[in-house]
Amino acid sequence: TSPRFQALLGGREEEVGAAQEARAALRQRYLRGLAAARGRPTHFSLRAGVRVDAVFGAADVEAVAFQVDALRTPLGVEAAALLRCTDVLAFSFLLD
Amino acid sequence: MNDWQKKSPLEWKTYKMVKVAAVEKHEYEGWVLTVDPVSASIVLATFLENEKVSISVVLGHAVQEVEILREGDDEMKQRLSCIFAPEESKAYSP
Repeated sequence: TSPRFQALLGGREEEVGAAQEARAALRQRYLRGLAAARGRPTHFSLRAGVRVDAVFGAADVEAVAFQVDALRTPLGVEAAALLRCTDVLAFSFLLD
Repeated sequence: MNDWQKKSPLEWKTYKMVKVAAVEKHEYEGWVLTVDPVSASIVLATFLENEKVSISVVLGHAVQEVEILREGDDEMKQRLSCIFAPEESKAYSP
């Protein structure tokens, strides 16, 4: 809510505040989603039609890489691995 | 910049059913749980027959287009809002 940030958005103060609040809520839900993914079997769709399965571990703040366990590759199972986010198109997991 | 990235965060406060077109002709459909303001990744929920919820995350860099199919009603809002809710604030049915 700094003056610089408000100038960047170019809105009135209450609009800027509401937008910032919404952004915070969206970010919080995203982080909770990542927390919910932890330890779950996850299916990753990578570039060029590659699909791999792994157990979701963690993600970093800047969305650079995902850490996964038990990554199944055609060459065998990697106990721990990092997947570059730029290679990942999407991933999905089940909640119960 | 794609059109969908210009959407205000306020527009994602209400739950929407969307179709996401991603690169390499991937398509995903589901209810938007959230759109990460940092990575622009879209988190979708779909309800399966066995009462399980499938969560799909489409990474922001892969998203090409987002088509809004319909708005959620109150019941759907209730179901979606408790998916990632912290334990203590979960709504219990009477």
